Amino acid sequence: MKPKLIIGIVAIVGFTSLLMYNFGESISTYTTFEGASEMSSAHIPGTWDEEKGAEFSLETKRFVFYMKDESGVSKKVVYSKPKPNNFEQADQLVVIGEMRGDTFYANEMLMKCPSKYNDADPSQFSEAAQG
Amino acid sequence: MLGTIGKILISASFVTSLAAMIFYFISANRDENRTLKVGNWLFATKAAFLVVASGILVYLIFQHQFQYYYVFNYTSLDLAPRYLWSAFYGGQEGSFMLWILISAFFGFGLMKWTREPYKAPVLFFLTLTQVFLLSMLLGWDIFGLKLGASPFRTIAEEMPNAPFLQTNPDFVPQDGSGLNDLLKSPWMMIHPPILFVGFAMMTIPYCFAMAALWKQKYNEWIGPALPWTLSANVALLTAIFLGGYWAYVTLSFGGYWAWDPVENASLVPWLIGTAGIHTMIIQRKSSVAQKSSILFAILAYVAIVYETFLTRSGILGSSSVHSFVDLGLYNQLLAFMVVVTGVGLGLFFWRYKELPSPDKEAKFLSREFMTVTGAMLLLILGLVIILGTSSPIIGKLFVENPTPPEISFYNDWSMPIAMIMAIFTVLGQYLFWKKYDAESLASALISPLLVTSAVTILSIILGDVRNIYYMVYLFCGYFAVVGNAWVLVRLTMQNPKLIGGSLTHIGFGLLLVGILASSAYNSYLVDQKTANYNTAVERGEVTDEQGFKVTQKEEMLLLNLNEPVIVDSRYVVTYEGYELDNSIRRGQQTYKIKFEPVDGGKTFYMNPEVYPMLTTSTAENIQWSVDPDVRTGLLSDIYLYVGGSSYVQEQNDRASENRRMMQNASLQDTSGTDTPEVQKIKLNPGQTIDVGKFKIRFVSYARTDTSELPPNTTIGVKAQVELMHPASNRVITLEPLFAVYSQDGQSYIYSPPARVPDFDLEFQFTQINPQENNIELTVTGLEEEYEPEWVLIVADEKPFISVVWAGTFILMAGFSISIFRHWGRERKKNNE
Repeated sequence: MKPKLIIGIVAIVGFTSLLMYNFGESISTYTTFEGASEMSSAHIPGTWDEEKGAEFSLETKRFVFYMKDESGVSKKVVYSKPKPNNFEQADQLVVIGEMRGDTFYANEMLMKCPSKYNDADPSQFSEAAQG
Repeated sequence: MLGTIGKILISASFVTSLAAMIFYFISANRDENRTLKVGNWLFATKAAFLVVASGILVYLIFQHQFQYYYVFNYTSLDLAPRYLWSAFYGGQEGSFMLWILISAFFGFGLMKWTREPYKAPVLFFLTLTQVFLLSMLLGWDIFGLKLGASPFRTIAEEMPNAPFLQTNPDFVPQDGSGLNDLLKSPWMMIHPPILFVGFAMMTIPYCFAMAALWKQKYNEWIGPALPWTLSANVALLTAIFLGGYWAYVTLSFGGYWAWDPVENASLVPWLIGTAGIHTMIIQRKSSVAQKSSILFAILAYVAIVYETFLTRSGILGSSSVHSFVDLGLYNQLLAFMVVVTGVGLGLFFWRYKELPSPDKEAKFLSREFMTVTGAMLLLILGLVIILGTSSPIIGKLFVENPTPPEISFYNDWSMPIAMIMAIFTVLGQYLFWKKYDAESLASALISPLLVTSAVTILSIILGDVRNIYYMVYLFCGYFAVVGNAWVLVRLTMQNPKLIGGSLTHIGFGLLLVGILASSAYNSYLVDQKTANYNTAVERGEVTDEQGFKVTQKEEMLLLNLNEPVIVDSRYVVTYEGYELDNSIRRGQQTYKIKFEPVDGGKTFYMNPEVYPMLTTSTAENIQWSVDPDVRTGLLSDIYLYVGGSSYVQEQNDRASENRRMMQNASLQDTSGTDTPEVQKIKLNPGQTIDVGKFKIRFVSYARTDTSELPPNTTIGVKAQVELMHPASNRVITLEPLFAVYSQDGQSYIYSPPARVPDFDLEFQFTQINPQENNIELTVTGLEEEYEPEWVLIVADEKPFISVVWAGTFILMAGFSISIFRHWGRERKKNNE
């Protein structure tokens, strides 16, 4: 019984530490453009810098726009997929990718949208009232 | 008025629930039948109140009573009646209501079929969970302490400080904000109710396990609890399947599984519930595993409550695409979770010493050992997924502001666990029906192993599998299919009623094979140029303007109107235009993409759709949504959606123009004069295009006279181009020249402009593209810009997705057969 118990405990401890180690490695922290320069896969929340526009180029098949991170820094972001459908509507963007020089290359992009699950925007009501 | 009645009814059902709970508690404590009856009456009254309240909510929805926030927020006047139904459970409050309704319905089943001494305690725990769920709907405000969010609250109650309400307190919106377009899908109508059937049923094993602990009868609860658990399992599995299928065919996620927290929320309880089924079956057979059966039954429900907490408390806000926003229920949900877990595990550990232990250790080659190990693996897989999903909480141990884990975290852990499970299913099934020692088992497994190896090798060759890990994985998956099929055949000959287990395990094996094939061997359909580019990217040979290595492959396909493109050397794909349709969804475009197989197979069309999300779009800002099209085949599916098109671009340009006009209404913006004077147009022979008020047709190549060509000409071609002006009914034929000549060892292009003085236009023949069979004309003086019609599609081929569905259906069938077997035996016992 005893050796079995010891093996069991060792196995559980080993498994758990490996799992937690791997888990710790697979998550990262939300950061800013500045913090992203040392990371290979950075998650940066921010908002679309509307003044600088956004464009999908048919030639390079890339979607390029500028994003302001939480510290207010605006950088160019290159996303190699079509423009997401609700891009303009998004309250917040999270780009996932890496910084190269002064440009952020996003492999993935999440959009936080004012969806049906969220509280309705009061401005909708005033519109409905006028109409 | 009706809303007030609704609120009172919900409060009344909360209070009667509370009373029923107390009566059940007394009855369970004293083994009294009289108090049990009172409890049942209270329970029924509670259910009646709730049914009427739900009826009122449905009525309000169908009557478009937009002064109620819930009705306003989830419906609109133009919503089809079937989606008005689904709006009932489309929001958080309504979905809680549906959950309790279904749970109450099962309560009556428990009243009828549960034997003593479990009846009262089982109903006590069922009512306990309902009390918590009902408290989420109360909408009480006790001295500033808010309890629950009522589905009957009005807009004025929701936003007391809104300015438009202060000017007009009786304000009622004329139309609601509508249901999210993505939820307007038949799959979404049936997915949530089935999910809540699963959630409500998974409460029942928890109730039985708690009753067993309470009454200290640790064996007999398995009989009635097993069919309930199996049914909960089938319901959850069906819900998971429907959710996955919905994501696949109507969202452009690109697949059926994305490890999203909301998806995990139904998978984890299913895994732990399935672990419970395993230990219950073994406990019924040989009176071991009582401890783990009870623990799994508790944990399966705890998982449901925990995942409910994660997805509804707003804690996952930034990591899930479709989690709910906090309705102020955070603390209530937390209390619910703490009580369910605390009472469950507390009672378990309190009775722990008393719980029966097996007399001797199970041997390695025994059905007990195999089954319990399988259950443990299921639990571990569930825990790994919970860990990943909990990253916003547990991740805080590592970093300050944790992100969700990378998808690879889930894949890296679930694959090996699933592989070990696959092996154990076969060993377990063999040992379950017959006793073997190591030697006899090995000889019994020779034939299945040979078949498995043959199939694996065949797949490796045919599928060009190069990854050794995948080879081993495939072997494990096939072994589960083949080994269990062997058992299945033997059982079918003995007694077909017993095949439930082996059938589920075959389904599991198929699922493993299908998941690998459809996700790892997913290939994008691109043209040759892009394919070459991607190969270069893979080799690391591509750098961008800034000199950085490009790592992202191109997965999109640009199609110009009526210009065929060869894709993957297998299909000639042509974009044949789109149709605008307002009948289903206003402004919906259905694109026509023709696929002609190169090997002479049957031509087919794919019709992906793009539509504006009416609930969130305005004239200044259009939000587009896409519906992919899936062509289902036996061997592979083609999955395709539109990433953009000239039509969408045009509409967006118009919208941003509108936006500018709105912003600078005072400034007279004279945009439109800055159109380019020079533009390039590509034309195939015979093709006509419209540019503004002209039609330009490239008839064909014209005869060239050598006298027109410069000396030393290497190429000299003339085009015959017709310029049509429909307004004046004039047709002008032009013959611009294109020549390449050499002089002093250098090549020059000679393309003199052909003038049209009447319209002040100039045509130059500036390029010839023999490969694409077209020419380029440079036109100067055209006022309107020529816009080629194009569509950008993302298309990929997913091999053997049919195997994933087949595996899922076989799992469902296997579990269903088991339900009948165990339920049949229960009924017999009840009748005795």
